[in-house]
Amino acid sequence: MKPFLRRLGGCAAVMLAVLVLNFFLFRIMPGDPLTGIVDPRFSPEAKAQLAAQWGLDRPMSEQFFVYIKEMLSFRFGLSMMTGTPVWDELKNRVPNTVALLLPAMLLSAALGTALGMHAALHRGSRSEKLVMLGGAVSFSFPSFFVQLLLLMCFAYLWPIFPLRGTTSIPPPKGAAAVLDYLWHLALPLFSLVILGFGGFALYIRNMMVKALGEDYVLMARARGLPARRVIWNHAFRGILPPVLTILLLSLPGVVSGAVITETVFSMNGVGRFLLEATNSHDYPAAGAAFFLLALLTVGCNLLADVCYVLVDPRVRREGVRE
Amino acid sequence: MTPAHVRHYAGAVILTILAVLAAVGPGAFGLSDGIVSPPYSKPAWLDSSIASKTILDVASDISSGNVGGTSGITWAYDAPSRVSIIGTITDGYLEWITPNGRYRLAEGAGELDLDARDIPFKKSLGIGPFENMARVLFPARGSYVLSLSGGGNVVMTIEGGRWGLLGTDHRGRDAAALFIRGIRISLIVGITATLIAALLGVSLGILSGYAGGFTDTVIMRSVDVLLSIPTLPILMVLSGIWGKGLWNLVVILSIFSWMGTARTVRAMTLTLRDAPWVEGLRALGAKRGYIIFRHLAPEAMPLLLANIALGVPGAILAEAGLSFLGLSDPRLPSWGRMLHEAHAYGAFTSGAWWTVLPAGIGISMICLIFMDIGRKLEERADPRLAGGAPGGIHLAFAPEPDTETSMERE
Amino acid sequence: MTDQGRSESFLSVENLSVTYVGRGREVRAVRNCSFSFRKGNMTGLVGESGSGKSSVLMAIPRLLPAGTRVTGSIVCGGEDLTAMSEQEINARRWRRMALVPQGAMNSFTPHLSIERHITEVLEHHLRASRAESRKKAAELIRSVGLEPDIMPRFPHELSGGQRQRAALAAATACDPDFLLADEPTTALDVITQKEVLDTLKRLTAERGMGLLLVTHDLPLAANVCETLLVMKDGEIVERGDSGRMVKNPEHPYTRALIGAIRDMESGRPS
Repeated sequence: MKPFLRRLGGCAAVMLAVLVLNFFLFRIMPGDPLTGIVDPRFSPEAKAQLAAQWGLDRPMSEQFFVYIKEMLSFRFGLSMMTGTPVWDELKNRVPNTVALLLPAMLLSAALGTALGMHAALHRGSRSEKLVMLGGAVSFSFPSFFVQLLLLMCFAYLWPIFPLRGTTSIPPPKGAAAVLDYLWHLALPLFSLVILGFGGFALYIRNMMVKALGEDYVLMARARGLPARRVIWNHAFRGILPPVLTILLLSLPGVVSGAVITETVFSMNGVGRFLLEATNSHDYPAAGAAFFLLALLTVGCNLLADVCYVLVDPRVRREGVRE
Repeated sequence: MTPAHVRHYAGAVILTILAVLAAVGPGAFGLSDGIVSPPYSKPAWLDSSIASKTILDVASDISSGNVGGTSGITWAYDAPSRVSIIGTITDGYLEWITPNGRYRLAEGAGELDLDARDIPFKKSLGIGPFENMARVLFPARGSYVLSLSGGGNVVMTIEGGRWGLLGTDHRGRDAAALFIRGIRISLIVGITATLIAALLGVSLGILSGYAGGFTDTVIMRSVDVLLSIPTLPILMVLSGIWGKGLWNLVVILSIFSWMGTARTVRAMTLTLRDAPWVEGLRALGAKRGYIIFRHLAPEAMPLLLANIALGVPGAILAEAGLSFLGLSDPRLPSWGRMLHEAHAYGAFTSGAWWTVLPAGIGISMICLIFMDIGRKLEERADPRLAGGAPGGIHLAFAPEPDTETSMERE
Repeated sequence: MTDQGRSESFLSVENLSVTYVGRGREVRAVRNCSFSFRKGNMTGLVGESGSGKSSVLMAIPRLLPAGTRVTGSIVCGGEDLTAMSEQEINARRWRRMALVPQGAMNSFTPHLSIERHITEVLEHHLRASRAESRKKAAELIRSVGLEPDIMPRFPHELSGGQRQRAALAAATACDPDFLLADEPTTALDVITQKEVLDTLKRLTAERGMGLLLVTHDLPLAANVCETLLVMKDGEIVERGDSGRMVKNPEHPYTRALIGAIRDMESGRPS
């Protein structure tokens, strides 16, 4: 339990850093937070009233305290554009982002593992070269470009998927609503999977090639165990911890990608909310969206950590992590 | 030149070409930055059934005895999207002779500045204000004549639907010119941001490794935190706050990409600090600065160069991503900006792929080239990596030719 | 094919050649080796590193790297191992012949407990239930002189001697006809070396297994085995009774091998 508690502490520290960063990010800009949104022709009284409404007239320490309270209570303060609590607008978007990212990650990990394993087990074959090439392309092409291409191919030239949105307008009712939602989700999800599998495939293939050369794999073969058992229980189980580490390290990038994906496909998620809030200088809203995205990252990080502990007996026993 | 040579140098050659293009700019090819053709004109080579830009020029000088002139074309296309007429008539009239009849476009004397979209112009010809005048002026295929009687000098511009090598964007700017402009932004941002980040990373890494203790802890914890939060949102917010200028972007990008270098450099510092030969130098009386700059730096340089090269794609992608999200200066035509505009202003509903493909391929290509260079530098710095670097395209493994099985290590 | 129709308890190697192929290079590690030994026999295969002795050993269960060219025949229990399909040979691995690897650290899968290594083969080869195989594993662990409380531990939590004993326990799990031991004591200190060798000897004798002991240490092999084969540059240069060979080596190479070890033990420079 001890290593796990230590990781929990680490996550809390990251979130604290995010909170502090978030607070100061919006207070280091030239002028005050209102300059961006307030018409310069406003009277000083009107400005003062607005400042009071967002608590900007109070001392910094008090502002920080109020800010932390608002963040931790998930209210996130009032939007500068609409004047309503930010959470009211955000809460409908969180499920959309999770519904996009979580399956995308799981599917790309699964596809990457399958292809990487195939490549490692068929060294020198044509299919290995194909996997390596596909992996490199998937790994190094900019996400928005690939997504734009997909959009162009499958939403314009051959319009089997919608060009934009999370649901049709107006949204259908009942079971059709679910299908409609999935239909809108399909292309973004597919794009994230083909963008995400490459790194996994290459990494798993390399790790697996190394693992298959290990003495303990040769010994597992010498014991006359079936090939499938040797490959999965001995070799693959052995590379899981580093693979999980890579997964962990890729998480922030995946969440960053949500902003772009949701923008390309005009989806109603936290990422696009952040973009809209940034564009309209709505700092409380942007801060809240950033906080949620960071929370999502840290949460997944913690989840991966739990898996890590489950997978590597050495960590379970002693808390060592290579 | 064997295929292997070609592959080896292709990246460097393409990069050089791009750098030269960026340096000379689109002007060197006679490409203009302004609006040149209707929005989303197709590339000129694409579809010859669409008219390309045509200019009819008529001039006559009464004082030299000419009393008019004509200029004619054979029109084999659909009606053009825009027609405009600019010039002067001194005394006489201007007529447009179509296969279906003739229109008197102007008469008398004066300056002409007519556009087929102008309502007064339409009225003067008896055409309804919301009718498409270009279609009236080009009712069918056949031969057309612009005829000027009297003196004057008139230029009629018939806008076509195709333009240049890469067509035009949503505002009618030459996409090839924008593409060439974009190289500059990508290269400047990618390289300078990475260099600054490398400088930051090296300083902080050496500081962390050498100082140890509290400084080390603070720096390394910051690395951990920055590596475990999504940075794009911070970049977005920062560029929203600090402004969208090119150098703001460079600074913002470098602030959030020094972590990897710092980690590597710290590890290297720690190893080298305690290496016997460094200890030997110290015993010989070498000062710390001397050891760092004369011995440690050259030792670390190849790996550092590789690190920088491998960092460039990240910076380019981040710039392109921010621009794609519309968070860059609209006056700076970058590849990300091109994609942003294509996405935001209906390239998809117009099927204008030529505004999407070149920029996207450009970004991908530059990133691949820098990754390739980085990996080659890495292999040179550490030959063990050759053929086995994780990730990337240089992964041709061959079975190890060891004479003994792995069981016979002693 | 001299063993065809004879006793099933022979392991015989005929005209074995092993050639490693890689990157346009070919290295012939073993040339025309022939020898045979019987269940209950203990045979030592001695040579310096690079002599091809390990290649011979790994050729028997057909565990040489893919692409390696192996010619000749290896007959075990009346069956030609070289002619079998991968599936057939896999079914015989650990039942006919079991490996005792050198440096047992890397030969155990790091994330599996010692117990799992043993129960896994019992469950697979003998179709034992989980409970049965656990009981059998405890017996095996005891038979090599270890306490059963080490069973839930992971390989890195054991000492070198314990690991080597555990490797012995695992090798004897399915009562194989032959043990193929590759430098089983190399990484150990002298006292542990002796204990492990004694255990190896005792187990082989008790269960009537055959033992092929590959080592660079000729006196050590002579101490354990009745018969010795001396290998040099891929060929067997001398063979015979171990007592005779130590006293009266015929081949100069054998003499050198004995001399080298003696020099090392007495601390003289050779």
